Parts: sequence; C-alpha cells; structure tokens
Amino acid sequence: MVRELIETNITRRLIPKGLSWFGCMGGLSLVAFMIQLGTGVFLMFYFIPSATEADASIQKVSHSIPYGWLIHRVHAVGPHVMIGMVLSHMFRILFKGIYRHPRELHWVSGACLLILTLVMYYTGYLLSAGNRSNYSVIPITFIYALHIAGIPLAMGLFMGMHFFMVRKTGIYEPL
Amino acid sequence: MKDYTKGKSPDMLEPFFPNELLRHIIVSCFLVILEMSAVILFPLPWKAINKPDHIPWFLLPVYKLHKLMHNEVLFISALVLSTLIFVSWPFLVRDTKGNASSLHNAGGQNGSFARQGKERCNLWHRPVLFAIVISTIILLITLCFIKT
Repeated sequence: MVRELIETNITRRLIPKGLSWFGCMGGLSLVAFMIQLGTGVFLMFYFIPSATEADASIQKVSHSIPYGWLIHRVHAVGPHVMIGMVLSHMFRILFKGIYRHPRELHWVSGACLLILTLVMYYTGYLLSAGNRSNYSVIPITFIYALHIAGIPLAMGLFMGMHFFMVRKTGIYEPL
Repeated sequence: MKDYTKGKSPDMLEPFFPNELLRHIIVSCFLVILEMSAVILFPLPWKAINKPDHIPWFLLPVYKLHKLMHNEVLFISALVLSTLIFVSWPFLVRDTKGNASSLHNAGGQNGSFARQGKERCNLWHRPVLFAIVISTIILLITLCFIKT
C-alpha cells in the first residue's frame, strides 16, 4: 500500500521535460516557511508574552541559550528571504499569465497566502524588540496568539488548498 | 492527480525522481546558504535597540502611503480595495469575447492569433494589461523613494 503510493507519486512518476528553474520558487517559499516554523517552535520555548518580561526573554534566548542567537537570527532574517521568494513566484505567474482559465483559484489562494505572510511579518515585528510602545494599544498576548496559532493555521489551510489544486490541475507546461 | 504522460512521447518526459527532486534540493541548499550569509551579514546587536522607524523593504510602499495620506479611513479603504483587486486579478482580466477580438485585430491575423492566445498567454501579449502592471510596479517603487 505505502509502496504503491511511493511508486505512483515519486519513483515512477513522469513529468514533462524542460521545466524552468524558476518553477522552483514556489517550492523554495515552502522551504523558507518550514525554516520559519522550525526556528519559531524553538523560540516559543523561551519567549514570554508579557509586556514586562518579553524583552528579558528575548535577551536570554540570544545571549545565554546555546545557539539561541542562531535560531533568533535565522527567524529574524528568514521572512525577508521568504517574501522575496514568494514575490518572485508571484511575478513569474503574473508575467507568464499562468493565472488564466483553469488556474484562477490557484492565484486567489496564493494571493491570500502572500497577504497572510505580510500580516505574519507585521505581528512578528510587533513582538520583536524595540516596539514596546505598541503594547498599550494591542495586548501582547493577542498578537502572540495570532502570530503562533491564528495566522499559521489559516496559512496551512490555504497552503493545503494551493497544493491540492496544483496537484489536480497540474503545473504549467512549456509549449 | 494530473497525468502528464497523456499525449506525449517518452522523450518529452523525464522522471520526477531523481531529476525534479534533485533540482529542488540544489535550489534549497542555495536558500539555506543565502539565509546563513544573511545571518552573518546582519548580526544581532548586543543591546536591544529602540528603532521604531525601521521599515522592511516590502512594507515601505504601504508605510509611505500612510505618511502621504492623512485620512485614516481613506488609507484603509485604499488598502482594502487594492487587496481585493490583487486577489481577484484573474477574474478581472479574464479573456472575454471583446478582448479576444481586439487581440486578433491587433495581431492582424485571422482567428489563429486568438486561438493561439489561449496557449501562449504571456502578459506582454496583452499590451493594456502589461502597461497597467508595469506602471503599478513603477509607482510602488517610486513610493519607496519619496521623502515625506
């Protein structure tokens, strides 16, 4: 059963020849998202979502936890790389006109994912150091819940839709 | 799952494993290298610095627009409107009969152009849309450099 699944989906699967390397941008966005997810889980162990302790917990992660600085920095620079990948994916789709007839809903789910990614960045930016003034307006626990659960769940949903539809209609093939 | 083998000879196909998977793995390695070099190039400051004006490059247009528009309601409605247009883009620019005929007139060929347009659908085959997209991109880039 599993063997059959692997054979039809991976080892015996045939795809059209001559696919562009730019077609990898969508996959790269997923890889970047996975990196964000992995480092984010590690940061969750130490971050304390309260207005008084947040700063100290970030300082603790980056200066006294082994390799905490690496996890922290990767989580901080990752969004820039991820949004670069997502944007280049989007521009490729836009300029090649791949959003046309059978693939309109791919564009809709992808556009929602881009917007959610930007919102994700914004909530993370509010959580990061140096933005204490915003906590009087929006409680930190609210932003934190959105950042670690609300938006990722929505993103997972849209991603599932996106991949399911790509699998169903197939990728764009060169002539 | 879509079957790519339909209507294709074996020499037009290649195996997914390992060709496509290897391609993705190579590119992912470059991504990890890029992230690690970004970590090295932008190291962590020793003290948490207070820099409320630090705006990332991809949010600069929105930020500048907010600075330019003093009316909060207008700003939010502009954001929502542009988001709606962005999300529903394929439905707005859908190929209608009128569009297809205008394309075929511009091409000066008989029908074949319109039919060909269904397969070759690059954006620059539709000059009006292409102009709209390019001018929007230029506008967004200009917004980044405006001094407020």
